[in-house]
Amino acid sequence: MSCSPFDLRDYFLRELTDPQQRQVEAHVKTCQPCREEIDRLEATEAALVSLRDEEIPQRIAFVSDQVFEPSPWRRWLAGFWGSAARLGFASAAMLSAAIVVYALRPAPIQELPKAPQQIVQTVSGGDIQARIDAAVARAVAEVDAHEAEKNKQLVADLENARKRLLLAAAELDLSEMRGRRDRVLAANYGGPHEDGDRK
Amino acid sequence: MIFRAVEDADLIRQAARGRVEAYNLLVSRWEKRVYNYLLRITANREDALDLTQDVFLKAYQNLRKLDDPGRFAPWLYRIAHNEAYSMFRKRRPEADVDEIEPGATEAGITVGGSSVFPIELSLAVASALGRLSPDQREAVVLKIYQGFKFEEMAEILACPVSTIKSRLYTAFELLKTELAPIKARGVS
Repeated sequence: MSCSPFDLRDYFLRELTDPQQRQVEAHVKTCQPCREEIDRLEATEAALVSLRDEEIPQRIAFVSDQVFEPSPWRRWLAGFWGSAARLGFASAAMLSAAIVVYALRPAPIQELPKAPQQIVQTVSGGDIQARIDAAVARAVAEVDAHEAEKNKQLVADLENARKRLLLAAAELDLSEMRGRRDRVLAANYGGPHEDGDRK
Repeated sequence: MIFRAVEDADLIRQAARGRVEAYNLLVSRWEKRVYNYLLRITANREDALDLTQDVFLKAYQNLRKLDDPGRFAPWLYRIAHNEAYSMFRKRRPEADVDEIEPGATEAGITVGGSSVFPIELSLAVASALGRLSPDQREAVVLKIYQGFKFEEMAEILACPVSTIKSRLYTAFELLKTELAPIKARGVS
């Protein structure tokens, strides 16, 4: 168990903050067990780093193939869709623009919907009966007027017929009288007078 | 005229716009490190080289998805880790990922430039690394050989920092037992 104020391994791997590093450093100078632990860690690290990096056997390089090279527009689009940050920014910008447009647009004239006029009439039973009677009276009057008109027309027609009959009877009488006159004249004077017929 | 070094972020931005020359320069800066990372977790040079090529090809295809060029290293190593474990799964699809052991670990990794360092220590290190579990070995490689911070390792391996520390410290206890005495004898 270490008596160091912070983990000696964190100190050794330089993962502490600067003040913490200084605190452990001061402690290690005065603490023999912690000093020995640091020595062992340093020896281990020194052994590990003795294994040097190798050179890469073959250098890596790329060449641009114009046939398969995407166009600048396609590259931009791929980068746009591939980047969550850019997509998020674009979404936020569109949302902000929508909010601004909504805030700045002219206020519409408030047209309150017209409430339907509610007409309430209180109609009593007597009124209903009176209206029915009036309607019936109007209908009867119309029928009576129509009948009277028809009767009047019928009377007029009969009168005309009667006149025509009287006229025909008068003509018949006149014709009979002329016949008698002609016979009298013929018996007395030997023939009818043409002038008298014309008068 | 003011000169300044071309940073990785500059190269990443240019490569994302389709400049292959910029990407090749970026590859030349990182290929050795990625190759050695893959070499230490696969323990096979051919696999490491093939995987390194796949990693950089995939990285180029997905470079536009990298929102922060400052996070290029963990992002690249995340691809490398996924490619390596994808290969392990293809070779032993029935095995659990935690049980997958690189094929050549028992023999150890052949050390390049052995004339500089004593062969005894190199073999001891390779042997000690080979006895670690794949997770522990990868944690040691990322921390000691690649120099990543815990947060970056958590991003690469997609697990909590506490898990990273647990793997690393367990590995260090085992390595310390085996390697510290050898180093203390003054082999180097």
